Amino acid sequence: MTAVPPDAGRTAAEWLPSGEATEPALLAVEQLQTHFPIHRGLLRRQVGRVCAVDGVSFVIPRGQTLGLVGESGCGKTTVGRSLLRLIEPTGGSVRFAGLDVRGQSHRALRSLRRRMQIVFQDPYGSLNPRMKVRSILEEGLVIHGMGDRMTRLERMAAALERTGLAAAALDRYPHEFSGGQRQRIAIARAVVLEPEFLVLDEPVSALDVSIQAQVINLLAELRQELGLTYLFISHDLSVVEYLADQVAVMYLGRIVESAPAERLCRQPLHPYTQALFSAVPSVEPSRRRQRIVLPGDVPSPSRPPSGCRFHPRCPLAETVCREVDPPQVDLAGHRVHCHVASRELDRTGGDAAAASATIQAAITAAAVGSAGLSGPRSDA
Amino acid sequence: MTATPLLAIDNLVTAFDTPAGRLPAVDGVSLAIERGRTLGLVGESGCGKSVTAMSILRLVASPGRIESGSIRLAVDGELLELTSLPERRLQEIRGGRIGMIFQEPMTSLNPVFTVGDQIAEVVRLHRRAGRAAARARALEMLRLVRVADPEQRLDAYPHQLSGGMRQRVMIAMALACEPDLVIADEPTTALDVTIQAQILELLDDLRHRLGTAILLITHDLGVVAETCDDVAVMYAGRIVEQAPAAELFSRPRHPYTIGLLAARPDADRRGSGPLTTIPGMVPPPQEFPSGCRFHPRCSHAQQPRCASEVPLLREIMPGHLARCHFAEEISP
Repeated sequence: MTAVPPDAGRTAAEWLPSGEATEPALLAVEQLQTHFPIHRGLLRRQVGRVCAVDGVSFVIPRGQTLGLVGESGCGKTTVGRSLLRLIEPTGGSVRFAGLDVRGQSHRALRSLRRRMQIVFQDPYGSLNPRMKVRSILEEGLVIHGMGDRMTRLERMAAALERTGLAAAALDRYPHEFSGGQRQRIAIARAVVLEPEFLVLDEPVSALDVSIQAQVINLLAELRQELGLTYLFISHDLSVVEYLADQVAVMYLGRIVESAPAERLCRQPLHPYTQALFSAVPSVEPSRRRQRIVLPGDVPSPSRPPSGCRFHPRCPLAETVCREVDPPQVDLAGHRVHCHVASRELDRTGGDAAAASATIQAAITAAAVGSAGLSGPRSDA
Repeated sequence: MTATPLLAIDNLVTAFDTPAGRLPAVDGVSLAIERGRTLGLVGESGCGKSVTAMSILRLVASPGRIESGSIRLAVDGELLELTSLPERRLQEIRGGRIGMIFQEPMTSLNPVFTVGDQIAEVVRLHRRAGRAAARARALEMLRLVRVADPEQRLDAYPHQLSGGMRQRVMIAMALACEPDLVIADEPTTALDVTIQAQILELLDDLRHRLGTAILLITHDLGVVAETCDDVAVMYAGRIVEQAPAAELFSRPRHPYTIGLLAARPDADRRGSGPLTTIPGMVPPPQEFPSGCRFHPRCSHAQQPRCASEVPLLREIMPGHLARCHFAEEISP
């Protein structure tokens, strides 16, 4: 699955075989690229491009949830939209249930989209204020030719009930509902089409804490009862840790680390992942880590840095990081792109816990200005 | 509490007169902030936390108005009543004695002036400083808030800066006249976590160096836990619980606070069943319930008492206040 760049200096083969799931993946994404052209001047010549998504690969087995986390502008939303071709990808492949999504004609894509639905972040912007809930829900059913008038009504009522709303909601307008209820309507609009896969793009970010928990529980129930597969996109690590089976961390158009949720939050290897986790404020003193404060801002995706894209902000960056794009190291399903992490894994013989602890200590030490890791710092 | 806090809000009522009737967004709030301390005011949308903050500087827009209560600020040994202070004097307080940081730096900075001019303006107004002196102060402030290349940034316009940089500029403006108090309304909500970490660290550092008191308004309990000395939790226009931060998070006593804490998802709760939720939703002001305003959503509510009798905000342990009839019997 995940393509290892040809320049991969070392492989993880000596440690453990890749922990690939044996069940067939519902969704397999390989080297997905979505670039936006930048046009300037009178003739609108293309002067550059924004590499919003630049070589992203992952698989989601049926019934599982992949959490995709990262900060604004990292490309996580573009990934979600590219999968459904709401934005046309410019490269790579997307396979859904064995079908090549990028190769589908528009007609074929339509039937595919019934099976792949999306829920957006803003329940105020994603529901047409001039349409009654009935029309909002029925639109998809009509487009996909699902049922006659009566059965459509039954389906809609069932979907609303399933998402915690009364069928009476059908004859009301979106403005008559609170934010949490609107998000339920948006979820009902997606599930009424009986999809297999949902892209959830920050579905709870706009909601208050007490409402957020209700919607998270609803999503977990639906996954269980309807056997849904999710791509859960969020900047909120706590929500992702709670809901996802696998987590992938994006930075500047690339996935820098991915692993089963528990391993990723217990033994993060990439310095960016470590900083991200340490920056989440927690109410429990026991869970509070030493806050790693990264310098600077995320660079523009139109001019990504050379080598490792994270190197300008990385407290552990070495010469090699500025020059060479780090290859992927795969430690039984825990995948990371980082020169320092891969050396630490080599040194510890593939002990992720030890490597994670060493890297964390080195970052903390670097933050107070002292030298970091043991071992060579400049060899490539 | 010591004898004279820096700011003392007493029984503040701020209401909005609307066609639907009078809506009391803030309904009897009392708070005190001491010099150099950070008080976190937390709650969900519509609980009245921002209206409380805006009331302090009398920035509540019509049809909202302060109906009653007092807001006293200690200035040079005397107590100024902000609710009745002449507008002219109040302008000296705004930006001079009390700085403000808002959530969205893009909309609170003027897009047609350079950031240097905007910081300098504050200094010129409040300190009657000359052009050169004000510009020098602006540069000094940009350095203080650790803006990279401060000399160049002085002549940059807000749109040329990133969100984190803009928030640093806001902080520089708020602190330019060395105020005694900074009101920060959701200062990091629009920012990414790694940038949020930078800003929180900066605020904390500046507070220790300059001795500024901070009123931090936020919906994020984690931010409060990591940055505040004291916490007040608001629900439906009232404070329902107040305590030192460590005490509140380890021994919450109001069912709403307990509910908010339990509703937070995290890795530790994986696989242990659904999240605890607070049923229903925050009522809008026109539908505030009788008695305890939380009672329709409360699993501990006992009728008829909770629906009829407004609980008082009372001290259940030294320094720990809760507005619940049964606070002593409830534990998380």
